[in-house]
Amino acid sequence: MNDAVNTDRWIRWLNTVQLVIAGVLIMAPTIWMVLSSFKPSFEVTAYPPTLMFSPTLENYAELTRTTPFLSYALNSLIVTVGSTALGLLFGIPAAFAVSWTRITWPAILTLAARMAPGTLFLLPWYVMFRQIGMIGSYTALILSHAVITLPIVIWVLLPSFDAIPRSVFEAAQVDGCSVTRILWRIAIPLVASGVAVSAILAFVFSWNYFLFALVLSNGDTKTLIAAAFNFIGEGSTQWGALMAAATLIALPPLVLAALVQRWLVSGLTLGAVKG
Amino acid sequence: MASISIRNLTKRYGNFTVIPDLNLEIADHEFVVFVGPSGCGKSTLLRIIAGLEPISGGDLYIGDKRVNGVQAAQRDIAMVFQDYALYPHMRVYDNMSFALELRGTPKAEIDARVKRAAALLHIEPYLDRKPKELSGGQRQRVAMGRAIVRNPKAFLFDEPLSNLDAKLRGQVRAEIKALSQQLKTTMVFVTHDQIEAMTMADRIVVLQSGTIQQYDTPETVYERPANQFVAGFIGSPAMNFFAVEWREERAILSQGGNAVPLDGETAGRLRQAGNAVIGIRPEHFAVAADAADGIAINVKLVEPLGSDTLIHFDLAGASSIARVDPALRPKVGDRLTLRPQPGKTHLFDSTNGQVLR
Repeated sequence: MNDAVNTDRWIRWLNTVQLVIAGVLIMAPTIWMVLSSFKPSFEVTAYPPTLMFSPTLENYAELTRTTPFLSYALNSLIVTVGSTALGLLFGIPAAFAVSWTRITWPAILTLAARMAPGTLFLLPWYVMFRQIGMIGSYTALILSHAVITLPIVIWVLLPSFDAIPRSVFEAAQVDGCSVTRILWRIAIPLVASGVAVSAILAFVFSWNYFLFALVLSNGDTKTLIAAAFNFIGEGSTQWGALMAAATLIALPPLVLAALVQRWLVSGLTLGAVKG
Repeated sequence: MASISIRNLTKRYGNFTVIPDLNLEIADHEFVVFVGPSGCGKSTLLRIIAGLEPISGGDLYIGDKRVNGVQAAQRDIAMVFQDYALYPHMRVYDNMSFALELRGTPKAEIDARVKRAAALLHIEPYLDRKPKELSGGQRQRVAMGRAIVRNPKAFLFDEPLSNLDAKLRGQVRAEIKALSQQLKTTMVFVTHDQIEAMTMADRIVVLQSGTIQQYDTPETVYERPANQFVAGFIGSPAMNFFAVEWREERAILSQGGNAVPLDGETAGRLRQAGNAVIGIRPEHFAVAADAADGIAINVKLVEPLGSDTLIHFDLAGASSIARVDPALRPKVGDRLTLRPQPGKTHLFDSTNGQVLR
């Protein structure tokens, strides 16, 4: 009896330690980034790092002074919203079709595309978009980012669609629904939280994706994350401004995730257990 | 309202044939029950009628229209599913009105039809609730309501009572039967429960391995089964079977050698066949006073049911059951003499199980 209580206590203690380690590993760089963005530039790279300092907005001022930050933010927003919308537009029917027909290879193909290194797409896309004069256009960026968003939407929604009893769709068929109407009137409302989760995840991944924007954008369409790269110079790096940019870039996904946190967890486990 | 006609229908999944060649005519307004063991093809047949499964061969007519390639949505039939298949995100009212809305029925008419069906099924208080807020029985009624409001050509029921507890099952069974008499619509009901089949059907289709074994009224299926499979499947407890031979001008059990007293007509048929399988329902045994008048058995188990009592005994190597008068108060170990009631025994061909008439 006592042994069991002791083992239980040990397991709980180990769990706590693991969670603390994981928390520190995940949060430390974020906290470092936020603190550094408020440090005077000479203190950002000081060693050992200072925890007590007089906070300043100097880095944020530098950021807005030297770069058209708002314009880059708008570019990021256009590309992210566009590619998320595109991902949802094609991903929702695709996930439904895979679930309906039980033909899984298209979904596996999109996953393979997502897992492939981004550099694999760069050259063909660069050549292709240059040929049709679309380098630097929002369309090229939105289309390329759909490689990020589409598999996320499909794979988050697939278990949710699978979890809907087949008979519900069959009842709708007998009631007079076409497949399109079943998707629109029955399936999508039933996986609404899954759709929200997939949209948020697609948004976050697209917002943070760096490589395609670096190569396929131009000065007018550069996204925030690609623009932030400008602070890393050959001779010197403006760490303070870079940290300020990184902090601002991280804000929208963080706010979004915090707002829908409860949905996010339930949505990710949606479809795991049939209710 | 319409008849359903199935002609030379086959259904295959790859190389596996579920229904080899099936012909069936269901008359307008008729209540037909498909019954059979698991895997006999009864649900597949229902789903084919609904348009949820394609046909591999043959023809299907609903009314005068051949509907082989017609989608479920265009067949104008309603179906009640085993798990009810209500739309979880819609209120009861919307579940019921959905099909009418799809057909562009005017709002006032939708409202009138939903309320009429709700009144008929006593679900008016639940119209604003979501399915998850209802009990199993209430969901079952909503599923029926969803079918009724459409006023379809035919109703299809796929084992709709199997998720209900025994008491509710009996109640809903009676309600469906009453409903069928009120609505006067063609109804096809699938079940593996022969009591449901017997109590509800105008005619029963007994299926085995995708083949119709018998298609007749419940009374005929019970009293004059076409073969040993039907005889064993319909009736509870099941019919007792014994191998029997005609020897020395008597019917003798092949195993054990007991003589079985038979009426003249049955004896004549056995004499002609030489040997057969005799089928006797538990309720068609009579207890004889004289040991010379029947078959002596030892009571192995007693099941008092109140209205009557079941006694279990071993005879000719088979575990057998007889239904006797509870006033007899049989006890385990008692020695009784049983004799089949005249005219109530069935003889089946020993080789193919077909009834010998």
